[in-house]
Amino acid sequence: MALPNQQTVDYPSFKLVLVGDGGTGKTTFVKRHLSGEFEKKYEPTIGVEVHPLDFHTNCGQIRFYCWDTAGQEKFGGLRDGYYIHGQCAIIMFDVTARLTYKNVPTWHRDLCRVCENIPIVLCGNKVDVKNRQVKAKQVTFHRKKNLQYYEISAKSNYNFEKPFLYLARKLAGDQNLHFVESPALAPPEVQIDLAEQQRHEQELAVAAAQPLPDDDDDAFE
Amino acid sequence: MNLLINRDMDDLERAILISFDESGTIDSVLKSQAIEYCQQIKETPTICSICVERLFTSKLVQVQFWCLQCLHDAVRVRYSSSMGIEEKEFIRKSVFAMACYEGVDDSNNAVVRVLDSPAFIKNKLAQVLVTLIYFEYPSIWSSVFVDFLPHLNRGAVVIDMFCRLLIALDDELISLDYPRNADDVAVAGRVKDAMRQQCVPQIVRLWYDIVTAYKNSDSEICASVLDSMRRYISWIDISLIANDVFIPLLFELLLVEGLPEQLRSASAGCVLAVVMKRMDSQVKLTLLKSLQINRVFGLISDETDTELVSSIASLLTGYATEILECAKRLSSEEGKRVSSELLEEVLPSVFYVMQSCEVDATFSTVQFLSSYVATMKNLSPLTEKQLVHVRQILEVIRAQICYDPIYRDHLDVLDKIGIEEEDRMLEYRKDFLVLLRSVGRVAPDLTQLFIQNSLGSAVASSSERNVEEVEAALSLLYALGESLSDEAMRTGSRLLGELVTMLLSTRFPCHSNRLVALTYLETITRYMKYVQENAQCIPMALAAFLDERGIHHPNINVSRRASYLFMRLVKLLRSKLVPYIETILQSLQDVVARFTSMDFAAKQMIGAEDGSHIFEAIGILIGMESVPLEKQTDYLSSLLTPLCQQVEALLRSGKIQNPEGSPATVLIIQQIIMAINALSKGFNEHLVTASRPAIGLMFKQTLDVLLQILVVYPKVESLRSKVTSFVHRMVETLGVSVFPYLPKAVEQLLADIEPKELVGVLVLLNQLICKFSTSVHDIVDEVFPAIASRVFSVLPQDAIPCGPGGITEEIRELQELQRTFFIFLNAIATHDLSSVFISPKCRAYLDRIMQLLLYSCCNHKDITVRKVCVQIFIRLIKDWCTGQYGEEKVPGFQSFILETFAANCCLYSVLDKSFEFRDANSHALFGEIMTAQKVMYEKFGENFLANFVSKGFLAANCSQNLAEQYRQKLQSNDTKALKSFYQSLVENLRQQQNGSLVFR
Repeated sequence: MALPNQQTVDYPSFKLVLVGDGGTGKTTFVKRHLSGEFEKKYEPTIGVEVHPLDFHTNCGQIRFYCWDTAGQEKFGGLRDGYYIHGQCAIIMFDVTARLTYKNVPTWHRDLCRVCENIPIVLCGNKVDVKNRQVKAKQVTFHRKKNLQYYEISAKSNYNFEKPFLYLARKLAGDQNLHFVESPALAPPEVQIDLAEQQRHEQELAVAAAQPLPDDDDDAFE
Repeated sequence: MNLLINRDMDDLERAILISFDESGTIDSVLKSQAIEYCQQIKETPTICSICVERLFTSKLVQVQFWCLQCLHDAVRVRYSSSMGIEEKEFIRKSVFAMACYEGVDDSNNAVVRVLDSPAFIKNKLAQVLVTLIYFEYPSIWSSVFVDFLPHLNRGAVVIDMFCRLLIALDDELISLDYPRNADDVAVAGRVKDAMRQQCVPQIVRLWYDIVTAYKNSDSEICASVLDSMRRYISWIDISLIANDVFIPLLFELLLVEGLPEQLRSASAGCVLAVVMKRMDSQVKLTLLKSLQINRVFGLISDETDTELVSSIASLLTGYATEILECAKRLSSEEGKRVSSELLEEVLPSVFYVMQSCEVDATFSTVQFLSSYVATMKNLSPLTEKQLVHVRQILEVIRAQICYDPIYRDHLDVLDKIGIEEEDRMLEYRKDFLVLLRSVGRVAPDLTQLFIQNSLGSAVASSSERNVEEVEAALSLLYALGESLSDEAMRTGSRLLGELVTMLLSTRFPCHSNRLVALTYLETITRYMKYVQENAQCIPMALAAFLDERGIHHPNINVSRRASYLFMRLVKLLRSKLVPYIETILQSLQDVVARFTSMDFAAKQMIGAEDGSHIFEAIGILIGMESVPLEKQTDYLSSLLTPLCQQVEALLRSGKIQNPEGSPATVLIIQQIIMAINALSKGFNEHLVTASRPAIGLMFKQTLDVLLQILVVYPKVESLRSKVTSFVHRMVETLGVSVFPYLPKAVEQLLADIEPKELVGVLVLLNQLICKFSTSVHDIVDEVFPAIASRVFSVLPQDAIPCGPGGITEEIRELQELQRTFFIFLNAIATHDLSSVFISPKCRAYLDRIMQLLLYSCCNHKDITVRKVCVQIFIRLIKDWCTGQYGEEKVPGFQSFILETFAANCCLYSVLDKSFEFRDANSHALFGEIMTAQKVMYEKFGENFLANFVSKGFLAANCSQNLAEQYRQKLQSNDTKALKSFYQSLVENLRQQQNGSLVFR
């Protein structure tokens, strides 16, 4: 019985469990990948939301089924039940909220109880914010447990791909694997009408000929 | 979903499967029905027996997991409240039976055994068991461990479960790696004490027996036993493990080739736990010696990157660290001798591991080496042996920080792979460079010589690694520079002088390489203090920045960085550079021309901030008083005139185009503003206004031109913020002579502004108020209504709402606006401008402002904000309550202060338990609150006491005696005594309140 029985694809796919305290930016992080947009508002996740995220590597396409779980216990649903058959994981905390880092060991324990020996990445999110409370050198948990640590900023896209790349390499057992295209957008969920598709492609070609809009250079000012 | 039509399943099982299904193929109505159904079942009183029954009958892992989760929740939540004795008994027996691989007693044929399920189910079972232990061991269920042990005879399945139980007990209850509250820590202590007394020796015996019996047949189970045992060594009697029986067994497992690696590593983990056990140093030393650790040295000789080598590396590092600790603590000659012998013995292997094995233990090894080097701090001179070790450490560092040549091209063009490798190396180097700096402190000569040789041989070598070796040697020199004091840098030993001269005069064949060029420039900058003291070096240093090694390097990243570093060099050397100004300007002509020429196409190639460093450097050079006026005027106008002309030209054509401005236009204007801004930094107020007003006039004309940008492009936020910062600069540079420009500028900035963009304008106004205080009265009075109305359109009257799960970007913006607004109000009040609040134009906002300040000074989450608000009140009381009983300047204000502010802020807000006297910020706030009371007493006298003491204290059940004391202390002039008395009074009242504040 395959638990992540999402619609199957003919390339390798992995169940990725995303955990961490409420408000650390898990959903924003995943959505960033899907739509490229940054979500300013906070809507707590209820239970879990599963997002298929595709990446193109030099060894072909891969898919992470990203299980974005509720960080707040009261919206937990099946809680650690969602971890079952997880093949890799990201633990997220918020560098501007000390408590969320303090809780990392507990998330790690709960994860490992259900998924033994899976590759795990620890992510410190919101590093773009000026007054951070958890400094980079205070983050030591990953060293004890042999996890990979990345500082990320869902807002500015900083290090966005890193966690996925690390996990992809571990899962493929290939240190030299790399992403060949970016960003990888969400695959279409519905059957596409061919004529419609052609029209879209035409529009895309027109759009591509336009000069690029001014990038927001001031994100880090 | 063919599972759904399986006939053997009942409704609950089906519902569980559906609620676990996230494939997106389940109808959403059906799914929510299923979830609701599961929830209903979960809430039935018999849920525990339902779950136990399922666990003995269902093979579906989701069902098993759900049932165990329910049991866990039930015990966790209801054990101390609504759970009956029988129910507890039932859960205890059933769960224990499952863990011991038993079926139910009666005639059930097809028993399902949880232990046959996957690991995560067994772990979940262990978690339930541990939760029971939490509540029941040892008082109610004292026999849980003793009863379990006989079942281990049943073989690996039960042993495995027992190991899981022990691991879960450690993770969930005992281990110090998790945040735990005081209650949980107490329970953990109770459980450990009981186990030590009751069953630890038995358990250790069984560990030994199991490992002995299974070592050749089932290495996995042995590894599990050792992994669980490792966690217990820190708190059980060490003699149970560190003895003639167990230690030989552990080493046997470790040393025998052919045994699986996992088992050997697990054994190494146990030995490490023994080594790390906390105990008296003398006893520890004896223990460490008895281990004969040299037995494992041979295991790391074959340089394979394996789990075993990794665990041996950790073991050796841990061992060496502990020996070092013993050496530090022991004072006896014998202790010192033995520990240094043991250290001598293990060090070569530690170095070997670092140099030849790629292991994860690097971090702890570096930490060990650092503490080893730290022990040499107070020894001088170092012994021969120590010097040898130091040299070895330097070799290790150099080898570790060297890039691999396979990344050379990637790093040079900085593609994706190059960026990744550079990030990795930066992170990886950190600890090594810290180590280098401590080595540099204990053995300065040796370290400098080592670096000199490294640099020399790297330059001379023609090997494949040449580029990387040069880069590594430069990085070492840079890191060394970071550890040198200013003093040491200025005077410079002979060796250091040679090193710096060598650095400045060397042209590496690989200088075109991006990394080499960057590291080279950073390193020169690091040693600039030496150049400053040794003026003969200045031409060499300037050349390095101005030729193709620096600003004219073909790689844009290098030349950008060179511009910035050059600016820092100019800042530091300043007057020493006067003789070179002409030369410098000559060399920079081509760079400056890119900004001053009208060739717009070329400009789009440069980033918005590219020019600012060069212009800042030039500004510092030409802005010096020692430059003759005529020259200064020429230099400055040759830059300002073309830049301003360009802006004017762009604005002329922009007027016809769209109000948003084309991206190219906006970019160019930004570049120009930033360049002028940077340039102006070099000119101080005295020069511009007093000694050379002609220069000031040039800047005023420039300001005129740049303010036009706001007229033509009022809505382009990036331009607006750039112009704002230019106005900031001009306030500093032009002083009062900027006044005529301000009303127009502020008006332009405020036009159509979004509330969240207000922060920028508020900061500008704060600067004006702080610099000019009452002279800016009219301006502040003029703009205040516009600001207040916009601020209140977005800021709530009380607290900024905070989402349930943390702070979002929107809230952060609001918080920043609020904080800046308070600082603005504070600046007004404390710079003799409080009359603005009550002027005819602004009075309409007074009430809202007072309410906001009152709420914030009592309740704001940020204590520093509260302080800012209290300070405002203090000032307003002083300003507005002048006549003792005469007419009021602001009608109603006095009664507001006496009746509302006094009690709410000065009493109730500090009575609240959340007010923490030990916190430094709160302490400062408390000081302001005391000042407020003093001031109120000065202004209102008995009237204040009547309100504050008679009404406020009374409501808080304050005794007559304390109230009288307060009155006396307030009347005396001893502020300190008043403060500490008031604190004790508040603490006293808090106790009487017993935590409940009726009046809030």
